[in-house]
Amino acid sequence: MENKSNKLKAKDFITIGIFTAILFAVEFAFGMLGYIHPFIVASYVVILPLASGIPMMLFYTKVEKFGMITIVSVLLAIIMFIGGMGYLGAPLIIISGLVADLIAKSGKYKSFKKTVLSFGVFNLWICANYFPILITADAYRQDLIDGGYSAEYVENLFLAINVKTIGILVVLAFAFGCLGAVIGKAAVKKHFEKAGIV
Amino acid sequence: MKLDPRTKLFMILVVSLIVMMSATTPFLWAIRLSITLIPIVLLILEKKYASALRFLLAYSTALVLTFFFLSAESEGIVASLLIGYCGIVVQFMPALITAWYVVRTTKIGEFMSCMQKMHIPDGIAVSLAVVMRFFPTIKEEYSSINDAMRMRGVMLGGGNVLKMVEFRMIPLLFSCVNIGEELSAAAITRGLGGEVKRSSVVELKLGIADYILMTFLAAATVIFVVFKYFL
Repeated sequence: MENKSNKLKAKDFITIGIFTAILFAVEFAFGMLGYIHPFIVASYVVILPLASGIPMMLFYTKVEKFGMITIVSVLLAIIMFIGGMGYLGAPLIIISGLVADLIAKSGKYKSFKKTVLSFGVFNLWICANYFPILITADAYRQDLIDGGYSAEYVENLFLAINVKTIGILVVLAFAFGCLGAVIGKAAVKKHFEKAGIV
Repeated sequence: MKLDPRTKLFMILVVSLIVMMSATTPFLWAIRLSITLIPIVLLILEKKYASALRFLLAYSTALVLTFFFLSAESEGIVASLLIGYCGIVVQFMPALITAWYVVRTTKIGEFMSCMQKMHIPDGIAVSLAVVMRFFPTIKEEYSSINDAMRMRGVMLGGGNVLKMVEFRMIPLLFSCVNIGEELSAAAITRGLGGEVKRSSVVELKLGIADYILMTFLAAATVIFVVFKYFL
């Protein structure tokens, strides 16, 4: 490739597509657990960053240009929208992706510290999905009960996720994002760098 | 029957919109049900009887359970598990069926040319196409890896959960990365990412069926919104 511009190429888009698919598959597998108990919905902020740490760190090793992480968040927002998570969270998902991208860019996509920080911010997209629960609390509660959920489930959901706890959830998402990044990085080093894949 | 990909995308949008707003009255439920039936009928028309029947069974079971056996007062472990199951099915099944139908019946070529016609940036279009194509691959790869690991006795209840995740996730990533490289090579050979505007073998044209379906979907959305929020 003679022109080393900052424009994304077909190969980059394919990488983005693959890792978005993997990330979503992981999210979907764990997301279904949330129906068992609402507290699991709240604990996504812990589970998802840890589970997606390995694939995402592998993805970060392939990121060299600005825009790739942002596009992942745009795709996630589209999929979440189709999946019925609502339109309120979608802009927030994209914003967290954009900020994560900017942070990683400031470390030229190579700095370990910046990568960890960036993945922490990226994981705030999980909290974006809680957004409708906060903003339209009353309507949402009614919707859930009408939609066939038990009152017990709904009560617990609002017990776990409300205006007071959202701060804690955001912090947790960030902290476990960083932790997931460190673990993921270690796993990538252990398996992929030794094998010469990255 | 051949539908235009644009109609299919519109259908996904409408179904997920209607599913998102919860139905509160019998009339709204009727709209929701008829919207859900469309992709099932389309699946039957495409001769995918098995999956149509599967979706139909799962969905109707969940509906019956939700309406006749579960209420806002039900408590206990069995009930909450059932609510979990029904919640997933009733909430997500319609969108899932539609997405399944679209992914199954749309060729990637059609999808790309449709995206081009709608002036979606190439980056989003290519990435989305890869995502679409990749879900079945992940599933396939995962089940082979799962078999291999089970043969070696690395499975649920085998003690170490972390090991279990590691031994499945890492091989999966390995094969996904490899498939990705092959995919990019294939795509670049076919001129993806070139400077010239690509032409397409598939000529997309909206037919009568497309217009009818689109009108019906749009009407359903408007009626749903009006009856839910303004009456």
